[in-house]
Formats: sequence, C-alpha cells, structure tokens
Amino acid sequence: MIKVNTEDYPWHPGMTVTALLDEKLFTFRHIIVRVNGEFVPEEDYEKQLIVDGDDVLVLHLMAGG
Amino acid sequence: MERYLRNQDAIDEAEQATLAINRVLVVGCGGLGGMVIECLARIGVGHLRVVDGDLFEASNLNRQLLSSTMNLGRPKTLAAKQRVMAVNPLVEVDAVQANLTAENALELLADCDVAVDCLDNIPTRLFLQQAAKTAGVPLVHGAVAGWVGRVCVIQPGEDLLNLLYPESGESQGEEQQMGTLSFTAALTASWQAAEAVKLLLGKSGLQAEILEVDLLSGSANRFRLV
Repeated sequence: MIKVNTEDYPWHPGMTVTALLDEKLFTFRHIIVRVNGEFVPEEDYEKQLIVDGDDVLVLHLMAGG
Repeated sequence: MERYLRNQDAIDEAEQATLAINRVLVVGCGGLGGMVIECLARIGVGHLRVVDGDLFEASNLNRQLLSSTMNLGRPKTLAAKQRVMAVNPLVEVDAVQANLTAENALELLADCDVAVDCLDNIPTRLFLQQAAKTAGVPLVHGAVAGWVGRVCVIQPGEDLLNLLYPESGESQGEEQQMGTLSFTAALTASWQAAEAVKLLLGKSGLQAEILEVDLLSGSANRFRLV
C-alpha cells in the first residue's frame, strides 16, 4: 500500500510514477510529483520506481488568479 | 447595525467588532482579488490594503468582478477602492498601484493581520510567502486553472508553496492552456475570504492542508500537505 495525496492506494511491484499517473487518470499536462517529499522531475517519471509504503503527492501545477 | 444584520449569528457582535479593527492585505486585484475584496468589504473587515500594478484589459472581462467595459485601461486598484466605497464606506481602503517587490513588501505587510495571495504567477507568489514569513503574517493562498481551484492557509514558516511549486522555476501553470473561468475564480476567492475571516476571528480553518475543487467533475478534496 502507498499513500497518494494522503489516501491509501494499492501498490504493485514495478510501479513507476508514469504508471501511477496513468492509473489515477491525472490528465493535466502540468503536474507536480513528490515522493516522500522529494520533487521528481518529469523526465524521471518513466524510470522512478515507487516502492511499497511510499508517500506520493501529485498536484496540478496552477497559478492563475 | 442594520448593514451587518444578515451576518448574525454566524458572526456575533464581538466578532463583528473584531473584524472592524482588522487589516487585510490583498495582493492582486484580478479574478481572485476582486472577489476577495468584495467579500471582505461586505462582511465588514475594517481595513483593506489592496495592491496591483495592472490596468484592466479586455481579457479580464470574462471573470474579474471589478472589470467592466467602462474601466478598461484604468488601474485595478482604483476600481477596487471605488467598489468598496460604493458597497461599504465604513471600510478604509489603502489602494497601492504597484507590483509587490522586495522594496515594498514588508511595508505593505506592516500592521496587517492576514495577507491574501491573489497573484497570477509563481515567482511573486513564492516571494510573497517569504515576505509574509518575515513579517509574521499568515497567508491565504488561492490559485485557479480552468475548472479547478485551490486554497491553502500558510502560517509563517510553513512554506507550503514550496511543495505546490517545483524548483525548476516555471512562472505559470496549467492556466496557460486551460484559462481561468469566472465561477472557478469566484468560488476559489470566496473560499479564500472565508479562510481569511476565520484567521481573523480565531476560528479553526485549513491547517497544512489544501482544499481543491474541480467544478467540471463536481468534486472537492481536502488533504494534508505535511
């Protein structure tokens, strides 16, 4: 089990950031991902593995006013 | 006072008197700021300091409460002051026609009980967070993109915006593609105003959390950031 935006979410072996974003249907083009508080650059989404117990924050990047 | 009759008893008399002596800094008088100013003036916050260096443009008309076809090309802060004077002349408005900078930030925050982030770009938002921390003033952040709005309350030193924005230095987000819609701005700003009033009155509000609403899917989420 992992946490995604503080809610429990089932983990599976080999889960990458890209896989998680696809599963969760995060469709915004500009997204901020932090795993255990550490910022994950977009170019690392494919290779960054999420491990069981990780705390993942996925947020839309927005700044309009 | 009859003006505030319909604030009661959600706001009691003592709380109303507290609001009358409070001062709130609103940074940005656009889509978010215009509605925040409207809400705070109507509920009776006694002193508003409103800051924006921009003039109204036609592209503001889709969402910015203070804009009209009559004031295009005119300062947003002037419209804010005129609007508050028309709605509630008991409110003192300090209208500052300038952008927030390193030179003026602490002066603008001086004597303020709460600051409200109604800006439209990431670097200035991060700078405001830093200045509010230095001044010891709680900050109510709001941002919108398309159908989605977000609010969080940042106590001095929490630096929550450092989690919401990347270190890579972007100045804009999804709003560049999705735009900013009237109801998203109005709802988000209303949330900001409510959180600001709760801070002023010592009522429990968002604590290291964000509140996010998606008006397209009809969903709202509130979750802790730290």
